Amino acid sequence: MATDPSARASETDLIREAQQGSRTAFDTLVRQYDQAVLRLALHLTGSEQDAEDIHQEAFLKAYRYLGNFRFECSFYTWIYRIVTNLCLDLLRRRKSRREDQAVMLDSSGEEIDLLTNVSDQRASANPDRELNRKFLGERIREALDKLTPRERMVFELKHYQGLKLRTIGEMLNTTEETAKNTLFRATRKLRANLAELR
Amino acid sequence: MGNTMKCEVAQEIIALAVYGELPDEQGPQLERHLTECELCRRELEAVQALSKAMSLLPVEDPSANLVARSRLRLEEALDAIPHGSWLLRSWQRFARGVWRLRSAPVAVSGVLVIGLTAGGYSGYRAGEHAHDASRTTLGPVATQSDDPLTDVASVSSIVQEPNTENVEVVYNRLQPETIRGSLDDPQIRQLLLVGARNRINSGVRDDSLGLLAHECRAGHQCDDGPIRDALMVALRYDKSVDVRLKALEGLQPYVADDVRVRDAVLEALMRDTDPRVRTQSIGLLEPVQADSSVREVLHTVAIRDDNAEIRTASRQVLDQIPQVQ
Repeated sequence: MATDPSARASETDLIREAQQGSRTAFDTLVRQYDQAVLRLALHLTGSEQDAEDIHQEAFLKAYRYLGNFRFECSFYTWIYRIVTNLCLDLLRRRKSRREDQAVMLDSSGEEIDLLTNVSDQRASANPDRELNRKFLGERIREALDKLTPRERMVFELKHYQGLKLRTIGEMLNTTEETAKNTLFRATRKLRANLAELR
Repeated sequence: MGNTMKCEVAQEIIALAVYGELPDEQGPQLERHLTECELCRRELEAVQALSKAMSLLPVEDPSANLVARSRLRLEEALDAIPHGSWLLRSWQRFARGVWRLRSAPVAVSGVLVIGLTAGGYSGYRAGEHAHDASRTTLGPVATQSDDPLTDVASVSSIVQEPNTENVEVVYNRLQPETIRGSLDDPQIRQLLLVGARNRINSGVRDDSLGLLAHECRAGHQCDDGPIRDALMVALRYDKSVDVRLKALEGLQPYVADDVRVRDAVLEALMRDTDPRVRTQSIGLLEPVQADSSVREVLHTVAIRDDNAEIRTASRQVLDQIPQVQ
């Protein structure tokens, strides 16, 4: 993320070049953000496939609408606006799918996916610890699933990605105050949901 | 309004404090309130406990393979767009109805249908086909000079004129071109990357990856870029053993410095079906044998691999590592 003046200036040049059609400039821009985008999408969705799809759609949209970027905010915020919108769409689709069916469509196979990948690669020596982690991870995802898409998004950005409420507000096209209240609702719900697991 | 903070206020801002969002001036007041108020202290503990619990679902870095294949997929999609700004301009013209195709009405409606599904990726593809449609001369197809139907890439639509034997076909042509240059030339590299993705012609894919791997091995211009990604994807997904072996060779210089490459090689060691790939992976991992995740994998392989030689090789590497207590 370009925050110091000289880095920001060169990012501005890069953006302008990309806006004028330079594919190389666009590729360089993408590389500055794509891992962070994948990280966010992966943690939020719990699925590598969904993360890949969001990555694809987000950067294609960025390419297509790059002309509309007028430097009114940072490029980082602009990209994340696109990403968070896509994430919200996905969360809404998942939620409505679940409400239509009696059985949870989001199979636990998919939710464990993230953790299984990690444990496979790390050939853990402690099977009990692994099992515990998977169990807890599932529980936490279940609690998160009970939040509304917006609440979940705000919580993800605040707690897991460490962004400031003000930035979150900008990304979700709302005020810092609203983001704050959404965070409160999210934490209250989560406490209630997790409490019933004890 | 005195200096003492009330419980209602405290309860609200405690979450802010836990998340580092408390305005500085409220800090001391909250602290003072907490020393006096048991209820709010418990609230603070509860929020802190929530925060800890939620952190039990840690944010993982995307795996090397996920990053590589996401990047490649994006590159392919962007490559499918001929010229970004050209497309946007012609798309806008089309949308404004200014664009007149020199074609029969039937073909126009065919293209219109495609056009109306615009939006996102499908829009780009549609635009590409629409552009090519304008190149075909329709109506009575005068056999264009002595130009037989060569270099046909694909057919976009076939429409039969009602009650006749006449058919109208919209197709796209490839324009083959040749370029000569050095392997250091960025254009040549760009083409090699495209060649590396050729799903139909494995000879081309093989050659492209071989050359790219060779470049990486020689240390030319392979820093964290599409070439390294292409090699990692080839290592993971290519059906040809030779290609995977070449990819390994190309990645060798980076195992020590790049965690993603190291992880990709570890995965090859654990999952690749061919023993030659697994054996070569062990060799590549020797410079980083002291790494704990490498050790763990070598351990597993030393016990579980089907191939006795590989089990032995893993054990040998493990034995070289001084026991760290």
